[in-house]
Amino acid sequence: MSAPAAPSALPVALALWRRSLNEVLRVRGALLPATIAPVVFLLGMTGQFGRLTGLEGFPTESYLSWIVPLSCLQGAGFAGAATGSNLARDIEQGWFDRLLVAPVPRPLLLVGPILGGVTRSLVPATVVLLVGIALGAELPGGAIGLLALYVACAGFCAVAGLWGVFMALTFRTQQAGPLMQQGVFLAVFLSTAYTPEVLLRGWLADVAHLNPVTHVLELARQATVSGIAPGLDHTVPGLLALAGMLVLLGGLALLGLRRLGR
Amino acid sequence: MSAAREGRVVLALGRRALSVQFRRAQLLMPTFVLPLMLLAVIASGTSAAQGLRGFPDVASYLAFVVPGTIMQGALLAGLTSGTALAADIEFGFFDRLLAAPVRRTSLVIGRQAGTLGLSVLQTTFFLAIAFAFGARYPGGAGAVLATVMLAAITAVGIGGIAAAIALRTGSLSLMQSVFPFVFVLLFTAPAFFPRDLLTPALRGAATYNPLTYVVEAVRGLLAGDGALGDPWAGAAAALLLALATTTLATLALKDRLRRL
Repeated sequence: MSAPAAPSALPVALALWRRSLNEVLRVRGALLPATIAPVVFLLGMTGQFGRLTGLEGFPTESYLSWIVPLSCLQGAGFAGAATGSNLARDIEQGWFDRLLVAPVPRPLLLVGPILGGVTRSLVPATVVLLVGIALGAELPGGAIGLLALYVACAGFCAVAGLWGVFMALTFRTQQAGPLMQQGVFLAVFLSTAYTPEVLLRGWLADVAHLNPVTHVLELARQATVSGIAPGLDHTVPGLLALAGMLVLLGGLALLGLRRLGR
Repeated sequence: MSAAREGRVVLALGRRALSVQFRRAQLLMPTFVLPLMLLAVIASGTSAAQGLRGFPDVASYLAFVVPGTIMQGALLAGLTSGTALAADIEFGFFDRLLAAPVRRTSLVIGRQAGTLGLSVLQTTFFLAIAFAFGARYPGGAGAVLATVMLAAITAVGIGGIAAAIALRTGSLSLMQSVFPFVFVLLFTAPAFFPRDLLTPALRGAATYNPLTYVVEAVRGLLAGDGALGDPWAGAAAALLLALATTTLATLALKDRLRRL
């Protein structure tokens, strides 16, 4: 008798993607934190630091326009980090052990949840954007600028998801949740989060210059601050930064997956 | 049941809460490191704000924003304690505590004692690191001590909210989702910017946020300048918050017991 054929990759990834989306339907308010928190940050930071636009060198008169892309990325990042928390729960409760014995390539077990995170991230990104626009954020980048913003959010969500997965596979406990979220937090804030590079002082100017998230933010800020530069000056570095982070964190997540069960 | 015995129970539970936190120090790191990172980012990223008209004349921008970091630490200490409580509930340890012959309120107060201890360590750490990087506290040692106490009482206040949510839901994953929400309290207070320079809407909201009075009190204490904040208003706000939320947590525990 021949062995049953291994299921093909796509249906498995789709099934796990659907399962991670079911979380939104079954867990009451699952999307609320990732949606409301960035709105809170948007309003809070605009309220706290709104006067900074009066400083010479600030590229826009609307601090709201400056912060909207940051908050969209945050929302996407939190949605991504939640992928790690959910995986840690699955590991703790033994569900992931059952997945590991399934006749599918192990990396495929991560694709569905990451895609689920990216899908979920569209909700906070859109809500933040709509709140920002309703409160007066500008859209000099037009439709293509908005596309750049969504690409930045989806890419950053996948990056945060891989970071969360790596943490979940390393610590194998839901208590690592804060590490996942705060990793996203730090990555975003060690960039040009509050002010443009020309207004940063000391070490942060150097760190923000090296931090790839700065480029992702610039990619996103084309929607509300700078508009699309003709030479794609902010688009290409942003996309390259996303690709680099995806490769690096994807590699680490796969390494963690390989160690699991040894 | 004597008060002394209950005191021992509270102390034992507080010690346990702290030791559980420190046993997995890598998970506690964000509570200690994240606020310092944010302090460094804000001190470096927004220091140009000192050039704005209306910004108070302060010797060090770092010392001006340290109170915001201390409040953030208090928020995270309280939240961490709620998360640990949710873990105890989810993994069954709390059920075993419920079977013990102790007053149920001691279970809540014991957890809060752990939060208080964590916050004392955390605030001392933040003040020391900021001092090492150039922040100075003209208010003197008494002001530093008062700051540590105010932060600890505030952490107990936040811990009460977190414990109430943990007891109501018993869900660890929900508790972890609460993390961003605590920042509502931070951002609707003049944590990093003077209240007069906040946008009008936020300035209005800040009036109703107890953390506003605590953060301004800490700022006034550390700077030795009463014009920056009233210590008594801060102490009153912190104490009221702690009392109200500990009561909430106790009520949540009673409700949980009714549902068992």
